[in-house]
Amino acid sequence: MTAPLLVAAQPQASFVPDSAGGDFIQLRDVYKSYGEGLVVMDHLNLDMRADDRLVIIGPSGSGKSSLLRVMMGLESIQGGTISFQGKSYIDGNARNHGKPLDVRLQTQVGMVFQHYTLFPHLSVLSNLILAPMKVHGLSKVQATEKARLFLARLGLESKLNAYPSQLSGGQKQRVAIARALMLEPKLMLFDEVTSALDPEMVTEVQNVMMQLAEEKMAMIIVTHDMHFARNIASRVVFCANGKVVEQGPPAQIFTQPKEPRTREFLEKVLHLD
Amino acid sequence: MNYQFDFHFLTGNFGALWEGLKVTLQLALVSNVVGLILGFGLCLLTLNRWFFIRWPAQLFIEFFRCTPALLQIVWFFYCLPMLFNVFIDPITMGVLALGLNLTAFNAEAYRAGVQAVPREHLDACVALGLRPWQRTLYVILPQALRTALPVLMTNGISILQQSALVAIVAVADLMYVGKSIATEAYRPLETYSLIALIYFALSLPIAQLVQWLERRQDTALAR
Ligand SMILES: Nc1ncnc2c1ncn2[C@@H]1O[C@H](COP(=O)(O)OP(=O)(O)O)[C@@H](O)[C@H]1O
Ligand SMILES: [Mg+2]
Repeated sequence: MTAPLLVAAQPQASFVPDSAGGDFIQLRDVYKSYGEGLVVMDHLNLDMRADDRLVIIGPSGSGKSSLLRVMMGLESIQGGTISFQGKSYIDGNARNHGKPLDVRLQTQVGMVFQHYTLFPHLSVLSNLILAPMKVHGLSKVQATEKARLFLARLGLESKLNAYPSQLSGGQKQRVAIARALMLEPKLMLFDEVTSALDPEMVTEVQNVMMQLAEEKMAMIIVTHDMHFARNIASRVVFCANGKVVEQGPPAQIFTQPKEPRTREFLEKVLHLD
Repeated sequence: MNYQFDFHFLTGNFGALWEGLKVTLQLALVSNVVGLILGFGLCLLTLNRWFFIRWPAQLFIEFFRCTPALLQIVWFFYCLPMLFNVFIDPITMGVLALGLNLTAFNAEAYRAGVQAVPREHLDACVALGLRPWQRTLYVILPQALRTALPVLMTNGISILQQSALVAIVAVADLMYVGKSIATEAYRPLETYSLIALIYFALSLPIAQLVQWLERRQDTALAR
């Protein structure tokens, strides 16, 4: 089956299976704290390739959401630098206090949240076309055409004129993904997007993400679903106390973690399943 | 009770009652227009990030919330002309007092509406690349208006009732006309009952509409 593409043309990366490096995204010495005591990124270094699917795992409160929010420009950093597609994206020492330096780069990042964020006063279609029209300057006709395409690919055409309150949780999250894809992002961030869902709806959302993975979308995913993490990740990153403790291909991290802390964490979460 | 009801005397007073009703409606409607528009502006001021803008706006609201409406009206009628040496016609003065009172209460309704917009929606706006003013216009305002609507309407009805207070400063509204008729005809029971019925009939449909809206919003939220 050749499913129609969800992803616009992505930069082609040279594929180096085992390397942890990559110049699509580079976090260097990134420092972030909330107030005085709470350091959530402690001189963090992380690299990503354009076809990487990073799954971030770690104890609750270890700063996974903060990392995604920084990448999205929702939080600022106090030190270090982040580059995106080879360009300087965020600088902790810049005058804008560690927020994205380049709005154009920022709009190439898309994010889906744990909580439902479809705007309840707008229909599915209006939710999808709002930003493309207001931010990318598409005409209503163009944007509507595009929205139809995306919804069709996600099997949601019949919901075009529905309101968010008429959708199931799984459908809401799929529409939220479509809304983010409408802006043709180069990087997608997913922060526990299935955590609020009833179990029977988790798969439909995860399937959309798998479809994106097949189309080589660069993604950073935070999830507690280790089974899904193993399936979708090109690399798993275990974070604790604001640092990357260990990273590697999912097969290695889940079967032969090197660090005792990784092993401890995995034992805990896998036992809960 | 062997009181003999007699409504016949009222037939000769319909004209006067109608004139009074028109004044009451005028007071209520114009006050609502003032309150709906200025209320939103005031709400934005109270949400401003600068303390010196926020603070006077909040003080204005507290002044109207923490003093009796009757006193506000009396103050506007007697003190404002003395302070500023201006004379404004009584109806305009009534609209001013009632309108500003409503402005204060509506500002609070709008503010609750703005603050009820989930934080995550604001994050989503950033993720979608919307500029702050676009976020306010397309996402915050429509949601806030929806939440605030039942309260704004309830405030609207309540200002219709409060408008009866202007009778105390001799504005010839429905209440004032009723009072004159009642004393002239020695028929307070019939007159005041009729007046009450008119206020009631004006307010009830709106009150029902508010209930319907609230029920609809509840079911929408429950889904
Ligand atoms: N805006 C904020 N202000 C203060 N503390 C915060 C804020 N956001 C998150 N935190 C704290 O930072 C820590 C990391 O949070 P978070 O990034 O959400 O972790 P995770 O997603 O891994 O659970 C937590 O202790 C959390 O309470
Ligand atoms: Mg989190």
